[in-house]
Amino acid sequence: MSKSDAYTQAGKTAVLQNIHGTVEFLQKYPPFNQMDMAHLAYLVENCQLRFYSAGETIIKPADGPVDYFYIVKQGHVHGERPHSAKRGTETTFEITSGECFPLAALIGDRATRTEHLAAEDTFCLLLSKQAFVKLFALSNPFRDFALRGVSSLLDQVNQQVQMRAVESLGAQYSLDTRLGELAMRQPISCPPTTPLRQAVQLMHEQHVGSIVIVDPAHKPLGIFTLRDLRRVIADGNSLDQPIDSLMTPEPFYLPPEASAFEAAIAMTERHIAHICLVDHERLCGVVSERDLFSLQRVDLVHLARTIRHAGTVATLAALRSDIQQLVERMLAHGASSTQITHIITLFNDHTVCRVIELTIEDLGDPGVPFTWLCFGSEGRREQTLHTDQDNGILFEASDAVSAADMRRRLLPLAAEINQRLALCGFTLCKGNIMAGNPELCLSRHEWTRRFNSFIDEATPENLLRSSIYFDLRVVWGDPHGCDLVRQGLLKQVAGNSLFQRMMAENALRQRPPVGRFRDFVVARKGVEKDTLDLKVQGLTPFVDGARLLALAHGIEACNTLERLRELIAKGVIEALDGAAYEEAYHFIQQTRMQQHQLQAQQDRPYSNRIDPDSLNQLDRRILREAFRQAQRLQSSLALRYQL
Amino acid sequence: MSQFTWFTGRGPALLEAQLDRRIGLAEPAALDHRPLHEQRLVVLDLETSGLDTRRDQLLSIGAVVIEGGAIDLGQQFECTLQRRDHKVGPSVLIHGLAPSDIAAGIEPAEALLDFMAFLGDSPLLAFHAGFDQRMLARALKQSLGYRLRHEFFDVAELAPLLCPQAKIPHGGLDDWTGYFGLQAQQRHHASADALVTAELALILFSKARRQQLDSLLALQQRLAGWRRRQRAHSLHRQH
Repeated sequence: MSKSDAYTQAGKTAVLQNIHGTVEFLQKYPPFNQMDMAHLAYLVENCQLRFYSAGETIIKPADGPVDYFYIVKQGHVHGERPHSAKRGTETTFEITSGECFPLAALIGDRATRTEHLAAEDTFCLLLSKQAFVKLFALSNPFRDFALRGVSSLLDQVNQQVQMRAVESLGAQYSLDTRLGELAMRQPISCPPTTPLRQAVQLMHEQHVGSIVIVDPAHKPLGIFTLRDLRRVIADGNSLDQPIDSLMTPEPFYLPPEASAFEAAIAMTERHIAHICLVDHERLCGVVSERDLFSLQRVDLVHLARTIRHAGTVATLAALRSDIQQLVERMLAHGASSTQITHIITLFNDHTVCRVIELTIEDLGDPGVPFTWLCFGSEGRREQTLHTDQDNGILFEASDAVSAADMRRRLLPLAAEINQRLALCGFTLCKGNIMAGNPELCLSRHEWTRRFNSFIDEATPENLLRSSIYFDLRVVWGDPHGCDLVRQGLLKQVAGNSLFQRMMAENALRQRPPVGRFRDFVVARKGVEKDTLDLKVQGLTPFVDGARLLALAHGIEACNTLERLRELIAKGVIEALDGAAYEEAYHFIQQTRMQQHQLQAQQDRPYSNRIDPDSLNQLDRRILREAFRQAQRLQSSLALRYQL
Repeated sequence: MSQFTWFTGRGPALLEAQLDRRIGLAEPAALDHRPLHEQRLVVLDLETSGLDTRRDQLLSIGAVVIEGGAIDLGQQFECTLQRRDHKVGPSVLIHGLAPSDIAAGIEPAEALLDFMAFLGDSPLLAFHAGFDQRMLARALKQSLGYRLRHEFFDVAELAPLLCPQAKIPHGGLDDWTGYFGLQAQQRHHASADALVTAELALILFSKARRQQLDSLLALQQRLAGWRRRQRAHSLHRQH
């Protein structure tokens, strides 16, 4: 080695000592923990280290286009934005060690829209824009991170969850798989005039369970399955009949872009085992229950069918543990909280319907057509596995006398349904919000009167009631009466600003557990020491806020995420805000379910309380950000209703 | 390049190229009133074979630059000097430089010339700067026949001057990094110590600005008055 080379070498390794320290620091945080060593070293070599004393501005909108990518090395940075209507500013986010800013402004080559302040004495690493651009081109993890910001953090969580699932199962699995990818083979089809014998022969040769009947343009006209064949033979039909007289016409179909999850849901809801894939009115594939089954290893369709045809309540009660296992497996397989609440709701609905049918069979038809309603989380389709009953009955009566008579006939049946549901794992409601309660077995007019009284006298009890009853949905029976009640309710709320204001106050009662400077606000003492409540403190602000805004703007949906989406569509909330609320809500719910799953595995009682320190670094950060979104929703309500 | 060695009186033997480089070194700049964020400063940390500034040897030089109010992580200097007669003493436990590191080091005259080129005309900053100043001056004299005239500022003096509320009158580097919650990555490694000293300096400069002491000259004047008031106390070397 020549002398000058030796010098360069010694100097480099020595200087690397310092760079190495900074690299080690960065490697504790994403995306740096996924970057190549060489790229990280390049990053550090091109950084400056700068100090900002508490209260000092780091960047502000007036500075013009952003010149640096900032990484917090030590300390806390706050984002402050001017209040849209009020004077002063609001803290929009909080950034701590290992976190970066301002990605959107840097990539958009513009000034920041948020003033970034040092909340305490803070050191930041500053990467020049030129070096940022180079790294952006060189490093995939860095680019993904920069482009997607916080949402890429969320993706990482999902990837982690799924990777764990893949590890334990040794197979690729996803309910998000496109159906087009799933239906690999050409669909088997025939024209409507084909004799049955020939069609069955085709199915037999191709080893498929279904054949689609198509017109000359390949548009599906009907479907014929092996199950249909059983019926045809049992009925003694001739095998020479043309197939179009025996097929199921207008088969259900989905586009090839739809997900495996949507197909599973459709099969579960409709009790079908085959779904046509149709692209521009042309048949392009068929997905069978078996295709999904091999994909998910979780037989949701079969389970739904078993529930729907259960012969006794005891069978239904026994199926409860199957549902629980299925949900656990789905969680372990990386299904999202939205998918899981959706599935649970479906199974619960099937169970409720079956219990009602079996009870009518056993006790006899009361002779009064009725509709079974559910409220609260069940009404919002946001149930988790352990859930209380919140239900009621609606029927049509011409006057008070006949209403009382019908009620008398319905109540014994309703009370028996409540008891049987309890056997199936739906805990009896402590507050007696159950159909067997005479106050909740009402005619349509009685319901409307009752709801109007909640709105007209906004007492604390009535506000609490409205937060349960106004999330209502039909599980069994004719939905028309419930639709009319809901329409009346929406009209009533829209015309009563005092009630809206009271609901807004109510929606601000649960404060998300994040402090201004500290990480999380947790209980200080007692058995709940160091924990926070994911449901009450995390989800409730979103649920309450979405309900209020939905009711006030004539939105019929009850599900929180659907409400948010419709509020965006109506322009009540901004699309970006709505998307952020949705992501945040989704993440808190996911964390809560994973926690429940863990508790079940360890035979501990279910609890919504969590010690944030038990989460990994990434989850903690996202959870904190999610709570901040709840805070933002609340402050927008405060502003809107001038509280 | 001529390999002819010049004997310059009682001074060290230098190669012609080394002499050229020594002559080309920048004169130290005089202190002025320019704001601190426009001032280039070199933050120095030396590792030595012991605490005796007359007998112990300079083993390694670590330096980082404060420029434009920030520490530039791409502009760092770190160099271990080659010492043939180096004996392992108790200080090896502090600086952690193994005899093999020292044997693999750079020839002292080259190392010092490299450092002086890196330094340029900038003033220096160090923790317990008096020690570093004497050590560096002696090494430059011995190896290069060069007289060090650059200004030194002592962070151990600036810290209690600008931050009296800390009540750390004679604190070491660890006391101050602890007080400000700084995380040293690898203490007693010359350039890591220089980095943490530089971080300390950034905090102190931010305090200086708020006390209307926004130039090295203003700081120097304030320090002179402060030293008079501190006359009763003696400032012992604790390095």
